[in-house]
Amino acid sequence: MSTLKFLDQAPRFLFFTGKGGVGKTSIACATAIQLADAGRQVLLVSTDPASNVGQVFGISIGNQITSIPVVPGLSALEIDPQAAAQVYRDRIVGPVRGILPESVVKSIEEQLSGACTTEIAAFDEFTALLNDSTLTVAYDHIVFDTAPTGHTIRLLQLPGAWSDFLAEGKGDASCLGPLSGLEKQQDQYKAAVDALSDASRTRLILVARAQQSTLREVARTHEELATIGFRNQYLLINAILPLSETNNDPLALAIYTREQAALNAIPVVLRELPRDDVLLKAFNLVGLTALRQLLVDKEAQASLPVDAVAAFDKPNLADLVDEIALEGHGLIMLMGKGGVGKTTLAAALAVSLAQRGLPVHLTTSDPAAHLSETLNGSLENLTVDRIDPHAETERYRQQVLDTKGALLDEAGRALLEEDLRSPCTEEIAVFQAFSRIIREAGQKFVVMDTAPTGHTLLLLDATGAYHREVTRQMDSTAHYLTPMMQLQDTHQTKVLIATLAETTPVLEAANLQADLRRAGIEPWAWVINNSIAATQTNSALLRQRAQNELREIDAVAHQHAHRYAVVPLSIEEPIGVSRLLDLAGHK
Amino acid sequence: MATIQVFDPALCCSTGVCGVEVDQQLVGFSADVDWAEQQGAAIERFNLAQQPMLFAENAVVKAFLERSGAEALPLILVDGDMALAGRYPNRTELARWAGIKETAEKPASGCCSGNSCG
Repeated sequence: MSTLKFLDQAPRFLFFTGKGGVGKTSIACATAIQLADAGRQVLLVSTDPASNVGQVFGISIGNQITSIPVVPGLSALEIDPQAAAQVYRDRIVGPVRGILPESVVKSIEEQLSGACTTEIAAFDEFTALLNDSTLTVAYDHIVFDTAPTGHTIRLLQLPGAWSDFLAEGKGDASCLGPLSGLEKQQDQYKAAVDALSDASRTRLILVARAQQSTLREVARTHEELATIGFRNQYLLINAILPLSETNNDPLALAIYTREQAALNAIPVVLRELPRDDVLLKAFNLVGLTALRQLLVDKEAQASLPVDAVAAFDKPNLADLVDEIALEGHGLIMLMGKGGVGKTTLAAALAVSLAQRGLPVHLTTSDPAAHLSETLNGSLENLTVDRIDPHAETERYRQQVLDTKGALLDEAGRALLEEDLRSPCTEEIAVFQAFSRIIREAGQKFVVMDTAPTGHTLLLLDATGAYHREVTRQMDSTAHYLTPMMQLQDTHQTKVLIATLAETTPVLEAANLQADLRRAGIEPWAWVINNSIAATQTNSALLRQRAQNELREIDAVAHQHAHRYAVVPLSIEEPIGVSRLLDLAGHK
Repeated sequence: MATIQVFDPALCCSTGVCGVEVDQQLVGFSADVDWAEQQGAAIERFNLAQQPMLFAENAVVKAFLERSGAEALPLILVDGDMALAGRYPNRTELARWAGIKETAEKPASGCCSGNSCG
């Protein structure tokens, strides 16, 4: 019997939240099975784009409630947020297709292709499940493998959001704009938000890995959601490497030490939360038996002998640098979800280029700042600078509030402030700061650890705002070139997609690539970071994970990337020139 | 009183917050609309990304889009006739169309009163 705290007297609604790849879906599945095994009626709701819930139960599920024969009492439902957003787009755009000019239809579709639309469309699907209805009344528990963001909930709580646009379908738009095309009524959204902030009905489980940056991010999520009334929160640390794995294996020992250090230094706000630790398991989390074991609180039986990955001969970062160096100059942008190591990879690329005698400027958004400090002045051809994303975003927000905000009434100002908390705002503010140095890429290499999404580029290009922004910062004598053209030309700009060799991160990276392609930008290469398969390890648990990685590396090599590189998980933190060169694979 | 209809381009936010620069014209215009409505003007705004059917169903707007494309928006109709295109009206223009007598109050978006002259 499990002794996990988050399962103790579980309320009706359980939400798991955390970034892609931490194991939310597996844990949500295991939770639903455990509750059903205890005799409850359970509905499992998965929004994982890589959902394998159907596969786990050997049944096809999809966008309707389906009962799971192998687990009595359990039903499941898969919501695809992308598909939900597409349905919404079709509803708006469908009637005018062929009536309005094609270019006009395209501009409408682009406006409805942002992260906000997907998020709101997914929330719309949740709403029905959070409201009592004949659909859900039979269930004791509804388990969600994701949770709405603070941004969405806050928007729905603002009275100003509802005043004109949703009531009359006209007036001031906002990030909530997409909701006006959805059919539900304000009271239903309100009831859903009320259910979320009711501790007797809803428990939120923050899922994290024992990594410093992840825990920092989780602490932010915790505070943001607690502030808006989402108080019933638990913390779950997933896939911790057990001490028993560290015998005679330097890599396993390094991981163990790093994880324990991260847990010891856990942010203060997370310390007061009830916490469960789940150990890394040797088995693949596929199938009922495996999932029933996941939440069992004992050391993994790592006795299964696992072979080392035989003769790992995938291309490394230095192989990519050889090709990049041929151009002599250009813009190199790393793109990927948070936590995949973009800053480290950008530094390794920059050092690797500079070491060949090429002039390089590295610019990072590294919140820790230690990277720029350790690299500055270390190589003759390398300059480093850093922008602070929070400071840039705050400056941008303040500028908008001082101008636009000054003219608004209280409700309008509150709505504007919330619009400015959208993920787009940070992306734009940071990119605006970076764009100041892009023009340098004509003479040297400029390496950046971030890139705008295709959606943002298309919006900015359409409005001409980005265009104005960059021309203003170019010398009047400079050769004229639109920024979009510069980014689309792989001789001038190379976008590298960074990811990890795990299912969800690879899928997220593929989505980023699809988004860039819409903007006519073809990612030049993929970089798979923190690969265990690219290391030597004796640990059976790590070898198992290395074997699992091979399938993902294969998918990147054959389905997604024109060229790719694999970067090993390093024993020591990759700080300083020589370790970064090692990481890139220099002999 | 005349009916003023504003056909906005596809904006994800009417404030243009999603753009690299906040469009100062849009900012001022939203305030001017509020002002004119308080004076009794009848003003409707339509966002291409939210209500494209209203663009398609209006012959004047549809013909305008076919000729000049979405990048030529906004388009302002007064009682169904084209009154302005390609930029937002200032407070004086709104007042004239709506038949409002302007008081001594300073227009918020008058050209050259701020730092952006469109």
